[in-house]
Amino acid sequence: MSLSAALSRRSFLAMGAAGASLAGTGAQAQRRTLTAGQVLERMKANLNTPWREGVGVDRFIAGGPDTAVRGVATVMMASFDALKDSLKAGCNFVITHEPTYWSHQDRLDELRDDPLYKVKLDYLTRGDMAILHLHDHWHAHRSVDGIHVGTARVLGWSQYMHKDNPRYYTVPPMTVLDMARHIQARMKARTLRVIGDPGQTVSRLYASYGNFGGLSGAQIFENVDVMVIGEAQDWDLPMFVRDSLAAGRDKALIVIGHVLSEQWGMEYAAEWLRGFVKEVPVRYVPIIEPYWNPERPVMEINTRL
Amino acid sequence: MAEIRIAQATPPAAGRGAATPPPAAGRGAQRTGPVMAGQLIDLILTRLGAPNRPRSNDRLVAGDPLTPVTGIATVAMATLDALKAAAAAKKNLILTADATWWSEGDGLVGMEGNPTFRAKRDFIRANNLVVYRIADHLADARPNPIADGMARGLGWEEQTVEGGETVRFRLMPTNLLDLSRFLKERLGARTLRVVGDPALPVRDVAAIWGRATQMPAIRALRSDIDVLVVGYTFEWEAVLYVQDQIAIGLKKGLILLGQVPSLQGGMKHFAGWLAGQITEVPVEHIALAEGWWNLERPVNEITTTL
Repeated sequence: MSLSAALSRRSFLAMGAAGASLAGTGAQAQRRTLTAGQVLERMKANLNTPWREGVGVDRFIAGGPDTAVRGVATVMMASFDALKDSLKAGCNFVITHEPTYWSHQDRLDELRDDPLYKVKLDYLTRGDMAILHLHDHWHAHRSVDGIHVGTARVLGWSQYMHKDNPRYYTVPPMTVLDMARHIQARMKARTLRVIGDPGQTVSRLYASYGNFGGLSGAQIFENVDVMVIGEAQDWDLPMFVRDSLAAGRDKALIVIGHVLSEQWGMEYAAEWLRGFVKEVPVRYVPIIEPYWNPERPVMEINTRL
Repeated sequence: MAEIRIAQATPPAAGRGAATPPPAAGRGAQRTGPVMAGQLIDLILTRLGAPNRPRSNDRLVAGDPLTPVTGIATVAMATLDALKAAAAAKKNLILTADATWWSEGDGLVGMEGNPTFRAKRDFIRANNLVVYRIADHLADARPNPIADGMARGLGWEEQTVEGGETVRFRLMPTNLLDLSRFLKERLGARTLRVVGDPALPVRDVAAIWGRATQMPAIRALRSDIDVLVVGYTFEWEAVLYVQDQIAIGLKKGLILLGQVPSLQGGMKHFAGWLAGQITEVPVEHIALAEGWWNLERPVNEITTTL
C-alpha cells in the first residue's frame, strides 16, 4: 500500500501558506532565524539541572539543532494527531514528553520497514519538523519536576505539595470516590480506574504520574493512604493494593491513564518556554485521551492526513 | 490427610508431551500415600509437555514442596483474595498464571518488613499453601490451555483461524463497540478500555492474552486484522501505534481487557484438563473479581476481612 502517497495535498498547502507569510518579511526575518538548537541551549540554561547529554532518552528524534523554527509546540506524546495539530498551529518544532516511535527509547531496529514509520517520517520531513524528546530532563527540572508543577496546578493541589518531596501531598480529607471524581473532572479522564473502598477517607497521597512499576510502591504505601499514578501493569502495584485491601488495610490506587496524568506538565512547559523563547509562538497542544469504555464510546482521533 | 493415588499416566492432549515419560510420582499406578506438592508440580509439567525455558519466571514462589496436597486451585493471579478462596475450598496447591509477589520475577528483596507482605506470607504459612507460577509452561504447551480456554469462554472455538503468530479469530461481522460490549459482558471486564472508532466494522480479530509487549503487538496490529485484543499493553507503545494507524486513515482498533479477564478463561480450562490428568486430588478453578472499578460503577469487589 502506498501510504506515503496517501498524504493529502491539503495539509501541505496549508503549511506552505504559513511558510510564505514568514518568508515575506525578508532579510529582517532571516537575521532572526531561530534554530531548534538555540531553543535547546536556552532550555538547558533554564532547567536548573545539568543537561546530561546521551544519558536517558532525551534527544532529537526528528530534525536537529539546525532546523529553522517557525513555532514551538509542547505535547505529551508525539502522536500523529499531535504532529498534525502542531503544524496546524504553525509550529514545526515539537517538544514531546513521551516517544514518537512507539517505545521509550524510540528504537527503530524492528521498525525501519514499518509502513507507519515511513508515513510518519515522511510527514515530519515534508513539514520540515524537528522533534525533541524531553522526558528525563523535564522530570529533573527544579525546583519542582516540571510535570508535577502542571499536575498540581490542574488539580488545585499546589498548596498541599510537600516542600521536601513534591510527590507527597497532604490534601484535605476526602473519600476515594470524591478524589477520583475530582481528578476525573479536572483532567477529563473518562476511563480512570480505581482499586479501593470508594468510601474510605484519604488524605496522605503519593503521586507518580506516567508509568509506575516496581516494588518501591510497597514501601511508599507505608506512608500514604492513596497513590495516584498514570499507568501500571495489573500484577504490579495494582495487585499490591488489591492484596493490601484483602489484608484489611485501608489503601487505594487511582490510575488516571498515562497521557492524561502527565500532559498538564507539558502545558506548564509551554509557559516556561515562553519565558525565554520570544521570537516565535510557543503553544501547548493537548492530545486526546486514547481510550473510551463501552458506556461512553467516542471517536476523537483525526483520521485525515 | 487423604491418602491419594496418582492415576497411571495417560497420554496428554498435548502432542509434544506424549513422548516424555511420566516422572516417578506417576509411574506406579498403585502407589499410595500423601502426595507432595513438588511431586504434583513435576507431574503436571511433564503432562503439559512444554520444555523448561532456559530463563523463566515459572517456579515455586511460596510454600514447601514437601507439603501434602489436599487439592489444586488454578488462578489467573495469586492475589490474597484468590488464596483465601482456595484455602476455603481446601485447595492448597495453587497454580497461577501471573505474579504472587507483585512483580514479573516475584522478587522479595526489601519485602520482609512490609505489612502487606507479612499478611500474605502468614496466610500462606497458616494454611499450608504452596504457590507455583506456571505462565511459560502454559504458553508453550500445545494445545495451548490459555488460548483454548479463552476461545471456549468466548464461544469462538469455531471462529479460530490457525497459523498466525498470535491467536486469530474470524467473527461474524460486528463493530468495535458491539465487540467491546460482548467482551465486557462475557469476561466480566467491567473497566475494559478501547481505542478506535466505535463504528469500526470488525471481522478479523487477533488476541494476545495477558500482557502484550511492543512486539508482537505492533506486528499483530499491522497484519490484516481489524482489532487486536490484549490483557494489557503500554500506552506509549502499542496504544500509541494504533492511534497513529487510525490517524493516517487505517481501519484499526485495540481493546485492553485487563490482566485477569484476559487470562482466567484459560486457567478455568486448564483446571478442567488437570482434573482429567490427576484424578485423586480435586482440582478447581478460582475465579477472581476484576478488582478495578471506574466511575460508571464505583464498587469495591475485594473482601477486606482476613
